[in-house]
Amino acid sequence: MTADPAGRTGRTGRSGAWYGYLFVTPSLLGVAAFLLLPVLIVLGLSFFDWKLLSDPMFAGLENYRRLADDGAAWHSVWVTVLYVLLCVPLQTVLAMILALLLNQRVRGMRYYRALFVVPWMATPIVMGLTWNWIFDPRGGALNGALSLIGVTGPDWLSDPAWALPAVALVNVWQHTGYNMLFFLAGLQGIPSELHDAAATDGATPVQRFFRVTLPLLNPTMFFVTVTNLIGAFQIFDTIFVMTDGGPSGSTDVINFRIYNTAFKDFDFGYASTLSMLLFVIILVVTLAQVRFFGKRTTYDLS
Amino acid sequence: MQAPRVRWAKPLAGVALLAAAATVTACGGSGSGSGSPGDPVTLTYRLWDEQQKAGYEKVMAAFEKANPDIDVTIEVLPYDQYWTKLTADAVAGSAPDVFWMQTSQFPEFVTKGVLADLTPLKLDTSKYNNKVVEAYTYNGKLYGVPKDWGIVGLLYNVDLFKKAGVEMPETLTWAPDGSGTLLETARKLTADEEGRHPGDPGFDKDKVKTYGFASWNHYQTQWMNWVNSNGGRLLDKPFGRYTFNDEASVQALQFGVDLVNKYDVSPPATRTNPPTGKVTDMFTRGEVAMFPANNALLPFVVPEAKFKVGVAPMPQGPTGRSVNINGLSETVYAKSKHEKEAMKLATFLASEQAQKVMADGGYVFPALNGLAQGYLDYWQKTEGIDVSPFLEESKGDTFSLPVTTGFTGFEPKLNQIFNEMYLGKITPKQAADQAVAEGNASIK
Repeated sequence: MTADPAGRTGRTGRSGAWYGYLFVTPSLLGVAAFLLLPVLIVLGLSFFDWKLLSDPMFAGLENYRRLADDGAAWHSVWVTVLYVLLCVPLQTVLAMILALLLNQRVRGMRYYRALFVVPWMATPIVMGLTWNWIFDPRGGALNGALSLIGVTGPDWLSDPAWALPAVALVNVWQHTGYNMLFFLAGLQGIPSELHDAAATDGATPVQRFFRVTLPLLNPTMFFVTVTNLIGAFQIFDTIFVMTDGGPSGSTDVINFRIYNTAFKDFDFGYASTLSMLLFVIILVVTLAQVRFFGKRTTYDLS
Repeated sequence: MQAPRVRWAKPLAGVALLAAAATVTACGGSGSGSGSPGDPVTLTYRLWDEQQKAGYEKVMAAFEKANPDIDVTIEVLPYDQYWTKLTADAVAGSAPDVFWMQTSQFPEFVTKGVLADLTPLKLDTSKYNNKVVEAYTYNGKLYGVPKDWGIVGLLYNVDLFKKAGVEMPETLTWAPDGSGTLLETARKLTADEEGRHPGDPGFDKDKVKTYGFASWNHYQTQWMNWVNSNGGRLLDKPFGRYTFNDEASVQALQFGVDLVNKYDVSPPATRTNPPTGKVTDMFTRGEVAMFPANNALLPFVVPEAKFKVGVAPMPQGPTGRSVNINGLSETVYAKSKHEKEAMKLATFLASEQAQKVMADGGYVFPALNGLAQGYLDYWQKTEGIDVSPFLEESKGDTFSLPVTTGFTGFEPKLNQIFNEMYLGKITPKQAADQAVAEGNASIK
């Protein structure tokens, strides 16, 4: 809101603001009750020793001290970071390439676009179960296909080297189409005059992509990478259905550890501490992204 | 300016009214417990088995008929959510009045004071399966109505036996050195695509068409049975410490692993390890001839199988046969608002009238002795399957799952460690040492 130059900041201005708050109240209440409050509660719980069915006891920084020495928890952080690195870049690049392909004016393109979004609509649990069959080392479709070209496929989900990539592959498969939609929308928002002008000046298609398209896609890129990173850091359901954190802890991501600590060990205090760790990691990564894109993004294409 | 307020006021008033109504009904509900005659009391009965729900609807109808002032609501929760929800409800003080209990979860709940002492029911415990009674006794007091028992037996594919021209031996036997009729029979039933058996020249273990036996990482139906029939011990005493890294136990574990990796009569662990293991599917598709399973699995396996399913007793080990028996019970919430009525229901659930319904419907072997024939008759008449070996086994040596605290937390770790063992990445000795250490650390 800009300041009123004539100094008429009386009624209209203030009552307008009042109404503004009124209109956002429902969603603000939602955010407060279902987002801010739980975060605060979890923060509070992280200072307690609370095994379910016993009474919570204040423990100060005990849980954080335990976390500092908990090699398994830091292993989980490492696995999660690996997972994010496997997932997000691949998913983003693939989605971008798909969007460029599907941005052509070809007959029936609408159907292709819809087709690529279908995986995103599947329930992760059902999808995980289906992929379990595909990954079966002996009768599975994937190794069956590999054997046709003379390759003996690995024991996907029981080999510590392959389990995490396998789970990442499923998530890439599921989310690429959905991300493609955003890039497609972003591409269509770029005025064609800019491309025409660049072409007239002698820019090659590759140059036009890197100098014109990509910079102007920054708002989309910002949104897609932020949501993907957060989503990847929070990965849980596919792991739950496909590997249970195994083999040898190779897919023991932090969210899965939080789940086991809370609902298997019933140790809510320490689970809250682990949740705070994940919260801080996501916060730092997201803030870094905001800074990175903040300097490089223009929202005005006219 | 007024309009929005009016429009907001209405739903608000509506919400307030609803809340008030809810309070009134809630008061009515809890008030009636303390006396006013005409109003019926509503009890909640929670279970996790969709199939058994149908049986319990009949049981509850009979109970309500005998007790017109009590209504029972049956609540079904899927097993995966059951314990999480029950724990949360117990924390909030709002657990159901009567609910199902499982041996491995019992220690957690009884030690935290969630369960009511059932001594006032004055049940004659000698009339019930003693393993079930034992599993729900804590400090000499009974905390669960003995409900039913399930036992591990050997399901087998009768068609595969016929095709291979193999007779199921009178008794299957095993020993750590690989002698005995189990391995011999399993070898004959294992065949690669060319029809060669393990040990034949040219046998290709990567192209096996049918496996003779299913040995895999499943504690209840697999390795715990090997351990107990080799003289190994899972736990030093109820509520004690894990001990299955002794020599006899490790030998038994080795045998389970050898069936897979040395003798090649079982599918590789890459296809059977939890959580993605598909052993049940492999059996119902006719790829596995012998499959140890709890009798509770029958309703899930028999309709799927396109062959005749047979039932045999589990193999005998060096110290005889010892199979897992798993008893369920019904427990009463210690803080139930209707304790008197809940106890009444518990008494009824322990009665012959209630337990006979569940037996004759083919749902379970009831914990009350003398009713098992109804269960046998059901399976004989509807599916033509003789399930009496399950009953025979129960008369011999049986063992319960380890009864101690912290099992929910230990279970995922145990499964991961033993996955490695079945894959052959660590030895049974290493696996048992690791698992025992983790298990004893999880005891509270």
